[in-house]
Amino acid sequence: MFEKSIGSHRGTEGTEEGRKPETLSVSLCEKKSTILSVKNLCVAIGRTTILDKISFEVAPRTVFGLVGPSGAGKSTLLRCLNRMIEMTPGSRVSGRVEFHGSNINSPTVDADALRARIGMIFQQPVIFPTSIEGNVLFGVSRLRRLSRREAAGVVEKSLREASLWNEVKDRLRSPGQALSLGQQQRLCLARTLATDPEVILMDEPTSALDARSSEAIESLILRLKASRTVVLVTHNLGQARRVTDWVACLCPSESSGAGEVLESACCDAFFGSEACRSVFRTLVDDEALS
Amino acid sequence: MTVSRRILRLLLPAAAGLCALAALSAVAFILGVLLLRGLGSVDWVFLTTDTKAAGAAGGIIFQILGTLILIATALAVAVPPALAIGLTRVVFLQNRPRAARAVDALLHAINGVPSIVFGILGLLIFLKFFDWGKSWLAGGILLGVMVLPTLAVSLVERLAAVPRKYIEAAAGLGLTREQIISAVWLQQSWTGLITGSLLGLARAAGETAPILFVTAVFSGATMPDGIRDSPLLALPYHIFVLAQDTFNEDARANLWGAALVLVMLVTCFNLASLPLRLNLHEESRHV
Amino acid sequence: MTEVLPPSVASCAKVFRPRWILWSCALGVAVTVTSLLGALAMLLWQSLPLLGHQGSSFVTAPEWYYPEKAFGALAMIYGTTVVSLIALVLAVPVAVGASILSAEYLPPGLRLVVKSGIEMLAGVPSVVYGLLGVLFLREWVYHGLTAFDPISGDSLFTAGLLLAVMILPTITTLSDDALRSVPASQRSAARGLGLTRAEAVLHVALPQAAPGILAASLLGLGRALGETVAVFLVVGRQDNQLPGNPFSPTAWISPGQTLTSKLGGPETHIAYGDPLHWSAIIGLALLLLLLVGFCLAAAWGLERVMKRTPMDTESDS
Repeated sequence: MFEKSIGSHRGTEGTEEGRKPETLSVSLCEKKSTILSVKNLCVAIGRTTILDKISFEVAPRTVFGLVGPSGAGKSTLLRCLNRMIEMTPGSRVSGRVEFHGSNINSPTVDADALRARIGMIFQQPVIFPTSIEGNVLFGVSRLRRLSRREAAGVVEKSLREASLWNEVKDRLRSPGQALSLGQQQRLCLARTLATDPEVILMDEPTSALDARSSEAIESLILRLKASRTVVLVTHNLGQARRVTDWVACLCPSESSGAGEVLESACCDAFFGSEACRSVFRTLVDDEALS
Repeated sequence: MTVSRRILRLLLPAAAGLCALAALSAVAFILGVLLLRGLGSVDWVFLTTDTKAAGAAGGIIFQILGTLILIATALAVAVPPALAIGLTRVVFLQNRPRAARAVDALLHAINGVPSIVFGILGLLIFLKFFDWGKSWLAGGILLGVMVLPTLAVSLVERLAAVPRKYIEAAAGLGLTREQIISAVWLQQSWTGLITGSLLGLARAAGETAPILFVTAVFSGATMPDGIRDSPLLALPYHIFVLAQDTFNEDARANLWGAALVLVMLVTCFNLASLPLRLNLHEESRHV
Repeated sequence: MTEVLPPSVASCAKVFRPRWILWSCALGVAVTVTSLLGALAMLLWQSLPLLGHQGSSFVTAPEWYYPEKAFGALAMIYGTTVVSLIALVLAVPVAVGASILSAEYLPPGLRLVVKSGIEMLAGVPSVVYGLLGVLFLREWVYHGLTAFDPISGDSLFTAGLLLAVMILPTITTLSDDALRSVPASQRSAARGLGLTRAEAVLHVALPQAAPGILAASLLGLGRALGETVAVFLVVGRQDNQLPGNPFSPTAWISPGQTLTSKLGGPETHIAYGDPLHWSAIIGLALLLLLLVGFCLAAAWGLERVMKRTPMDTESDS
């Protein structure tokens, strides 16, 4: 059972086999413990290899950024972290993904239980056709029995944590789909937070939103990291700079076209390093085109 | 995870699977029984001789011919209006969504009319007013109106799938609307009419109620002779009559044979329409 | 970008005169609509003597006995209702279950196989269903339900059971379509929260597909109401079987009469000569049209509610 094998492990230091060697600037970054680690992850869908030997580590209570050009496989990688990749037909995953040191792909692990602990926010907010309250409670009400009072408490706590409480507290029974796009995305966040996950995966959460809503989400992410870990996929370099503690860049390899980690460093080192300039160029070009 | 959630996770697909299994067993049973009991009676002689001894002996040649005549007539009756309605729906009403919906409603309505009501209408119109006696043409016309929606809907689906770029290119060349219809719309979608026709033929072949009063007799008819007082034998009616009187054991074997032949006929038409229908499916996914 | 024109354009362009097609289409549509309206008008006209003779008691009087000019359709309305209701109650759960399997659990290849298999039920002509009912179902009901002491195997229940199999493919196919039209993103969001697949189906897909499934059931009901030959052969065709307690199972096990079984029977020929009797038969036909019309209209309305974009595939960047 997955729940039984959770412990809190102190992370490992130093390089491991298969991990790309880090550049000098990176070794200046402080290594903390590890909550989520990926080792030699390879993903293929049908006959195409999407990801090739991906390895990195995520420290707890930090924001880990994944940047890279579109088509590199960032969303696929994110989906491997909570086993949503299994829902894509024809997908094959090899390598290890470890949550608190235990392999999440092992057959003894219950994928549904895992997803309650590693939550996910999508690019387009998906609101169920029920009330705001109903949406927030959608996941958590199935995980455990909640009395009316407990439920109301969870709703308020989650909406506060998602910075949505003040805007909707008077209309919790109104339909969730009537909210603006920015509010909907925060509602999705509240819904995920209600299940109390340790890690939140975010797949370009602001790309569908306007500047003001994006700003709100970004400050939200910074507040969230006090108690939870965030893995953020973004193609917006400015956002990565503002919000993340550690950045990994995923680029399609020149030989196979599959994604591989080109550079992985803590935020300041990443944006300051010489080796990243070439990566920036491809990223900036890509952004200019899109 | 709670026990009840885990149980549900297994229970739902199991229950759903059982339902599907039940449905598929019904299919297997029906086909199996037909083949088992009917195959023995169906041979070349059975298919080419006349019925004797009220179905207890002989074959079903004139029933088969009668059915074929009926569905051919039905097709001839159904194609022109189906073409007209289909073209109207897609081409002439493309900018009038309300009128287009009215046409859709009309097709749905005709499709939903119970077959016995068609039979009663036939009795009223062709027997009472036209005084045709039992006539093959009356049955053909009724069946044609019945399967008109099948043809029309199939044609409309195909017409609606014609890529706009062809229309625009033709218009850009200066073709009039009528020329575009014949050169582009119909060229690209006539297969829809074929598909619909095959499906319509399948449906018309199996219908009993429309021909009950105005066309079918159990015996005494061979080929049609003029329009009035010119009944036909037909497979569905033959089976219908024999099913009501199943004491004769000899007739029983022939009855199964007739049923098998009818189902085979209907299945042939349905299967013939498949290749074209699957094609449309693939195209609509890529477009 | 150069456009590719179908090769027919150049050769056909000069052949046809303008306007020819437009007028023929208009004619075709006009002829069809006029004939249908004319047919309806004729039915209404032919049923007039009945109104004069019986009035509204046509639908409320239980006795139908033509030698004494008594034309009460209530027993037949009851028969039609019971038979169709039994068919729905038996068919809808099985159909929805099968559609859940095919739409939510099966990979595309297997889904096509199962769907096509079940659709084969729709390809069997109703007279063959009637035959199977006479030769098999009758015996099974008679011997299987000895606890209720049936008179014979022909009964409202037998007809309902047979109809259930006949309307199963319609409801299954349409319910499958309804489930597939719920966007994949909704299910993904639910799974992302930690809901099991079964919970995603029950709490996300099924509620959103409900209008479509309801429409499918109504279409099945319409079909059941209008089915003649199969019902005719196994329903018993006993007039005036209006029971004391319409809800008792014994009432359903006895033979009865439906609107369609009466219309398809010998009485239609007998009525041919007598204007009043004939108008009563036409009245039955109109009543049937009305019932079926309601079902179709309701299904049509629900289908408009269910107009969604088709299920999108998940995108992975």
